[in-house]
Amino acid sequence: MPVISLSINGRAHGPIEVRDDLTMNDFLREVLGMTGTKFGCGAGQCLSCAVIVDSADGTSATMPTCILPATEFDKFAIRTVEGHARDGELTALQKSFISHFAFQCGYCTPGFLNEGQVLLERLQSEPIPRTELERTITEALDGHLCRCSGYVKYHQAVRDVVLADPNRFLI
Amino acid sequence: MRPSRREFVTWVAASGILLSTARLQPAQAGPFDETQTFPGIAAKQSSPLEKGRIDAFAKATGAKLYASDFRAADMDGWPATTAHALLVRTADASHIFAGLDLSVLDASARPTIVVTADDLARVGTRAPPFYTGDLLCPVGTTPLYLGQPVALLLFESFDAFDRARFLLRQTPPIKLGARTGPLAQPNYAALRFTRVAGPSPRAPDVYSPVMEGWISPGFFKANGRPIWEPLPLSEGGQYKRGAIYGEEIRAAIAAKDPGTLVLDRRFRTQSVDPMFLEPEGGLAWYDSTGKTLRLVLGVQSPLEASEALAHLLGQAAPAVRPERIETHFAHMGGGFGGRDHTPFPLYLALAAIFLPGRPIRLAYDRFQQFQGGIKRHAFEMRTQVAVDRASGRMHAFAADHVLDGGGLANYSASVAVVSATSAIGIYDIPKVDVTTVATHSRGVTAGSMRGYGVLQTAAALETLVDEVAESLGMDAITLRRRNLLKTGGLTLTGNPWTVSVRTPEILDKLEGHALWRERVQARKATSADTLVGTGVAVCAKDYGTGADAALGRVEVDPNGRIRIFCDAVEMGNGIGTAVANRVAQFLGRMADEVSVARIDAFDALGLVTSGDPYAITQEEQDAVSRDPRWVPSISSATSASIGAHVGTHAAAEAARIVLRFGMWPAALALWGIGQDDPRHFLWEEAFWQDGMLILSGLPPLAQEDVAAKAYAMGALTGAMAHAFSRWAWAQAAFPLGGLDWAADLDALAVRRGEGPFTVLDRSFIAFPPADYNRIGTSFTSSCGTLVRIAIDRKSGTVRVTDAYSVLECGQVLTPEVVLGQAQGGFAMGVGYALLETLPPFEDGPGNGRWNLGDYVVARGSDLPLHALEVEVLPPVAPNEPPKGMAEVVMIPVVPAILNAIHDATGHRFQALPVTPDDVRRAL
Repeated sequence: MPVISLSINGRAHGPIEVRDDLTMNDFLREVLGMTGTKFGCGAGQCLSCAVIVDSADGTSATMPTCILPATEFDKFAIRTVEGHARDGELTALQKSFISHFAFQCGYCTPGFLNEGQVLLERLQSEPIPRTELERTITEALDGHLCRCSGYVKYHQAVRDVVLADPNRFLI
Repeated sequence: MRPSRREFVTWVAASGILLSTARLQPAQAGPFDETQTFPGIAAKQSSPLEKGRIDAFAKATGAKLYASDFRAADMDGWPATTAHALLVRTADASHIFAGLDLSVLDASARPTIVVTADDLARVGTRAPPFYTGDLLCPVGTTPLYLGQPVALLLFESFDAFDRARFLLRQTPPIKLGARTGPLAQPNYAALRFTRVAGPSPRAPDVYSPVMEGWISPGFFKANGRPIWEPLPLSEGGQYKRGAIYGEEIRAAIAAKDPGTLVLDRRFRTQSVDPMFLEPEGGLAWYDSTGKTLRLVLGVQSPLEASEALAHLLGQAAPAVRPERIETHFAHMGGGFGGRDHTPFPLYLALAAIFLPGRPIRLAYDRFQQFQGGIKRHAFEMRTQVAVDRASGRMHAFAADHVLDGGGLANYSASVAVVSATSAIGIYDIPKVDVTTVATHSRGVTAGSMRGYGVLQTAAALETLVDEVAESLGMDAITLRRRNLLKTGGLTLTGNPWTVSVRTPEILDKLEGHALWRERVQARKATSADTLVGTGVAVCAKDYGTGADAALGRVEVDPNGRIRIFCDAVEMGNGIGTAVANRVAQFLGRMADEVSVARIDAFDALGLVTSGDPYAITQEEQDAVSRDPRWVPSISSATSASIGAHVGTHAAAEAARIVLRFGMWPAALALWGIGQDDPRHFLWEEAFWQDGMLILSGLPPLAQEDVAAKAYAMGALTGAMAHAFSRWAWAQAAFPLGGLDWAADLDALAVRRGEGPFTVLDRSFIAFPPADYNRIGTSFTSSCGTLVRIAIDRKSGTVRVTDAYSVLECGQVLTPEVVLGQAQGGFAMGVGYALLETLPPFEDGPGNGRWNLGDYVVARGSDLPLHALEVEVLPPVAPNEPPKGMAEVVMIPVVPAILNAIHDATGHRFQALPVTPDDVRRAL
């Protein structure tokens, strides 16, 4: 069986043997017991399973875990919903999700949180004009499905993190 | 069901099996109060979060929370490893099921155990009566419906399970025999609702369902459909009387009267999936040594699930019959009705008892959830309306509904009733005749889903009303206003709505909104590329089912900390937050702990029940209610929008009693107010502000000081309550403080200081009369929606560019939750109108090949995220009870979009969803 090693939320995992057809989602949920990353569709359509992948060049992107094998993540550094808060201190985006009542059932929240965090980090290095903010958020989050909220508050929560610190995210 | 007094958190099912629930206390997931019980004002919630949201931290940090998150290793005291179950379903319901062929599974993917219908018969399990039909299709028979389970495969390792599910998706293991065609089964229900109003608005009805009972024809044609015309037979005399009135109404509509506009339209709605994000999943362990079956579940109906499990195994062979069933109810990743009375827990239990000693997990993937999960009923409707051309008044209405209930009995009869009794929406029409039949088909089972019957009929009605207005050359809002059912007016069952009726204000709001006032100018924005239109619709939705029960328990500790237990469940509905807010009104602070889905924490009430609360006679009710422990129903599913009104009620009443007989006497003592002081009786004038109890002219008292004093005095510090509503609360009196204390409750236990709860015998009881069961709808909330759309001529794509929804829901318990429900309901409405559909039968979800991608739900880019305005009317009075609102907010969105499409294109669509192809063809 293939052997993989990876970093999850800054902690090294592996080397560990995995079946070559084991999905990354099942690796997280069944092998490691990290169920914060959700399973929604198994088809890469709802992205409740998305995690953050941090690249060596300092950029980050989300990837679905339900349709990709765990072997695809070998040597990767990833972040999951469990890794955002540090010592119980929530990130600005987590606080914003909560203060906006952005989620209801909360099952899609890990995916939205990861996607929103990647966007905020991207805007820090590549600020955009204020006029492009709403469109940029819509494009960033549009792959994620939510059945409860109607999306409005998720978008407002991300937007308000940006607007609370415009010098950091906007041109 | 009768709770046992021998053992806390335990009761005995009719089968003799002990049932209990327990707090879900995972061993490796941190303290319990960080997961399943939400700490309202726990230390980790920093200041920006102190808005009352009590489930926030857990959901934002990925805590183990949902049933699908738990494995055996997470459970305290369970064996460490988890086995896995795979439910095999058939994609064919027209041939004999000839057995399984598992030869595609190599040694690495072979199940340890295969459970078939023969095995169920061998051990003597029973399907609960609610789910009529075989849980597993027996070999040699034709499956009852597409997607019917045929076997459970049990695997001891995840890898074997994982490989098998992949291989079996590629090569389904079903062997087919001879073709039989689909099985014909009886209809689930056939009912007729007819009302003839008296000659004047004040005159009594000539005929109504409330006066004379509900009627069913009882005669069926060869095709299984009812014969609605009254037959000249001696049977069915009661039916004949109603049917004669009904046929007279239809004849009057058919008569050619130049002064009357008659429209006769057909409308078709589709089957859809609730598409909650978390597929159904759970964990179970049958400890055969201890004869205990333990389960982790996520359902909207915990009591029903527990009792269904007891029925399933109640007469099973000794080797597989537990003596005790222990359930842990987790939070849900969405529900929308689809987890109310779901058969999922039965299959999970079967997996466990056939692999004793091993915790086993059953969790659907999305293909399986589409194939086996409960769906919305598809409707075929014919609607006829007669309108006086001069006044615009609708004076006669007839409709015929046929709904597809799919293959396994579920809520079809109830959906049929709700849709029929809501067929005239918000309007006052003096002559109404509605027939409805819920049919069995080979389709996937249809049951409860958000909007429950009204979504379908409102789409037909509100587009019809729009067409009436157009035909008469009348403004669409003016026409609605002329026909509104007003306070005290009678619905089509012959009863009034007994709650506030706010539709006049809603119409005023809609009429005054810029989207409506500027609709003509907006249409001028139509261009070579884009068509623009505006649509309006209004609806009312019932909340409650006519037999709703709630359990609530409130405790205050000596430091003023508050702990709440309730039986309602959390699925994104914010029930924990709502109940905490409601209790805080009486006890001065947000709860420190709210424990939901707790049907086990009320043993001290000693409740007993019997009979069917929807069908009980007055004589039966009078007889059994002499038992002071008897209630008509012990716990309800969290569904039918009952969360705010019912789900919070028992806890709120318990909190009121703790205030009156605990905190208030303590406050009087602290103030030094004696019995003879007139202020002694002013407890309802006192109020809480910033943690202080305030009564004019007296020094404010800190909540914790009052609580401490209550303990010191031996005053009341906790109350445990049960409530029942049949379109009115059961009312009882209890001996408290030397009074016969009357409350909207039917059972009460109290405690003093740290003492145990002691049940109080009610000194008086008035259950709502049994004939309230004839009422169709008594509690309603209403909502109106305006949408502006843009249609791309080339692609046919309809895009909602702007929208306004105005709703009313009585007292708003948590404004942010109400707003979120309204926004989510809007999104689901857009999906239902424009995107979502499941074909019936072989091309539909029963074939096991449906997933997201093929099934399209609304994404953010499908919605007017920055142009959706929601307005909530303030309550009619500060003490107006909360009303259900989670469903109503979705419903008018659908006809408003259809009416906007007509405004833009001149074409009326009468089937859902309206796809870009449909629009292109119409253009």
